[in-house]
Amino acid sequence: MGMIVKELIDVSLDANDSEDAIKKVGKILFDQGYVKNTYINAVVDREKVFPTGLKLKSTSVAMPHTDSVHVNEPAICVARLNKPVTFCHMGSADNYIQVELIFMMAITDPNKQLDTLKRMMSVFQDDEAALEFTNARDNDELYRIAKKYLN
Amino acid sequence: MKKVKILCVCGSGVVSSSMVASKLKDMLAEHGYLTETVESSPNSIESDLGGNHFDLMVCVSPVYQEYNIPKVSGVGLLTGLGEEEVIEECLEILSKLD
Repeated sequence: MGMIVKELIDVSLDANDSEDAIKKVGKILFDQGYVKNTYINAVVDREKVFPTGLKLKSTSVAMPHTDSVHVNEPAICVARLNKPVTFCHMGSADNYIQVELIFMMAITDPNKQLDTLKRMMSVFQDDEAALEFTNARDNDELYRIAKKYLN
Repeated sequence: MKKVKILCVCGSGVVSSSMVASKLKDMLAEHGYLTETVESSPNSIESDLGGNHFDLMVCVSPVYQEYNIPKVSGVGLLTGLGEEEVIEECLEILSKLD
């Protein structure tokens, strides 16, 4: 089962800060019906307590998410920011990083979606794969790349 | 295979801890360990421990309270940076078990 759909890909998202980024990416998921109207605020709140920024070899990503009660259908929204925004690093309270890519997850059952989670982890660990995401020229290309690695 | 039981802790106790758990199972298997994991969050550690024995706790969100179980930070397992160090730290703790 693929969690990557074209409507959830945005290659050029403008955001002022991490909260703005989460709200805008969350709105894409909401507008497409994948999440409930409580999702966005739940993700924003959770990110403050349990940050999801990850510094990779050549870029940095964030994987904001929240509890399944806020989710209708599993999906991943992939967005590349036109200008990086500051996220806090996972597992820390004051290690700030400049995030370029957002993988916002709507998870209903991590056991059922474990394959996708594992594939996402493989992308994080594969510098060339991560760079394909950051170098995508348009939505179509980012969609193809996301499908190739995550579906 | 030696059996070990590891508590994987992340913010919600579902997403990142599942990722860490699958990685730990794969990597520790290469070193001869059969790993059982329980996914948990900082707020539910107490109940997830439930009086059961755990050999190790691998966390991707800070756990400030002490539970009398060795703690290892597992963020490197998600990014791959410092992954070997995380595994070595786990192996060192596990090697001291009976």
